[in-house]
Amino acid sequence: MACEMACGYHRDDGFALLSACIMVTRGREKKDYSAVVLKEEENIVIARPEGLEIRRIGAVGEEAGADQSKGDASAKPLLLREPCDLCSDREEGPLCLQFCPVNAISMD
Amino acid sequence: MEYLSTNKIAIIDLATSKITDRELDEDLVKGKIGGAGITMALYEEYQNEDPIVLGTGLLTGTLAPASALGMITAKSPLTGKVGHAPLTLYAGLELKYSGFDYVVIKGKSPKPVYLWIHDGVADISDAKEIWGKDVWASTDTIRELMGDSLIQVFAIGKAGESESDFAQVCINYWASGDRWGFGKLFGEKKLKLVALRGMSLLEVADAEGFVKQCKELLSAVKGGAFADKKGIEEIPVAIGEEDIREWLCPLVHRHQSCFNTPYPTNTFVFLDEDPKLLMESEKKEPGFLITDVYGLLGFKKLGLSAADACALLRECAKYGIDAVAVAELGQKAGKKKPDEIKKSFSGLKGTLENIGKGMFSPWCPHFGLPANEWERRQAVAYIFGIHPIFALMSPELSEEKLIELANLGTGLGFTSEILDKVIADISK
Repeated sequence: MACEMACGYHRDDGFALLSACIMVTRGREKKDYSAVVLKEEENIVIARPEGLEIRRIGAVGEEAGADQSKGDASAKPLLLREPCDLCSDREEGPLCLQFCPVNAISMD
Repeated sequence: MEYLSTNKIAIIDLATSKITDRELDEDLVKGKIGGAGITMALYEEYQNEDPIVLGTGLLTGTLAPASALGMITAKSPLTGKVGHAPLTLYAGLELKYSGFDYVVIKGKSPKPVYLWIHDGVADISDAKEIWGKDVWASTDTIRELMGDSLIQVFAIGKAGESESDFAQVCINYWASGDRWGFGKLFGEKKLKLVALRGMSLLEVADAEGFVKQCKELLSAVKGGAFADKKGIEEIPVAIGEEDIREWLCPLVHRHQSCFNTPYPTNTFVFLDEDPKLLMESEKKEPGFLITDVYGLLGFKKLGLSAADACALLRECAKYGIDAVAVAELGQKAGKKKPDEIKKSFSGLKGTLENIGKGMFSPWCPHFGLPANEWERRQAVAYIFGIHPIFALMSPELSEEKLIELANLGTGLGFTSEILDKVIADISK
């Protein structure tokens, strides 16, 4: 969530979550299951407890359309957001990495 | 109030169903800073109407480390005094972004209702579909009704509906730091729950300066004493309950942080599923998120297994009753079996010895600090919106640094003298 806030700050110069291109999905709260999702130019990167997955954006849309029950309500707007630019205007690199309080994000 | 704020206070009268809003006056912020400073001022303003005040700290929901805290301020049915209960996890964040920095709920509704607060709008709705349901079913119903699984919910269960002294306002499905019986106040007002969601934008006076300072503070706290520790079980260990780690570990699935908090103070246990499972469980409700150290310790002291203790914590959260009270009164009555303890929820009565004596919920451990130092640190946390447990764990988040951050964020010129005065005011 701090990563979302940091990304939102990069976009809006204020604190907001809606414009972030990285998102923590928290919809399966009772199951203790969550993932981090990142929107790239052509892909969606999904980091789940069981591993990393990269999907083409079109394929994600088709799947979400086929089974809405699997998608969080806030997952859909991610497709409408700006893709990650790795905070290209910042010398120290992506803000999400710098602000993750539990060091859960890394960049290859 | 231009910065770090959505600039609105909602005044909700349940007796008349009238909702008004007013601006968050900059002079009020200059004098009271935020959080408990302002919830207390609002409480006093409306005290003849028995208000419940929801609020967030000045830094809540920002990049300031551990800026997770929201709060409920009201008169405790247990102590007869005004107290503050912490709203952690993502509840404080969602309240801040709902479009209102503060919400005053006054009067009593003639029929069960719930509040839906979102994007600067507050509505009172009929709660006939959820009155009578437990906390879990109520949260599920509201999220399904609104079609959004990220809605944050402050709800009461049957304990609150029946106006038990030990009724707790729960957060989504989990226990909260409400050890003041605020769930009873919800029940008396026929207020089943408050649902929150928001997409607001908080502007910052010196945005780059604020973010730079947040980053420096985060680096400092990450090097703190807790760096190699995680989970709720480390907290009892730190207060001398060392055997809890072995007792609980076989059930632990994952540790969870509250919003932007570097230390995960919550632990999820799997009770009906293999705790080692990485994939999404096929079971709908496989476990429980432990958020309350003293509830867990209370059941452990009854001699229960970790599985039985955690299952009872889950039942307490569904019923919306304070597990600490259940455990303490269960011990006094000689109850040792989970079934008989669960049966005691309905009509639970008695006098608690382990009850908060100050303004701030005893949910947060003292970690050996003298009472006056603990109270001051809690006051600082509740004014700025810092997670109360993390505030004690991280001296790096000093009063000076938080004031500096508040000034970068708002441009208002807070000083340590102002902070001293606010703390004195709320401690009267």
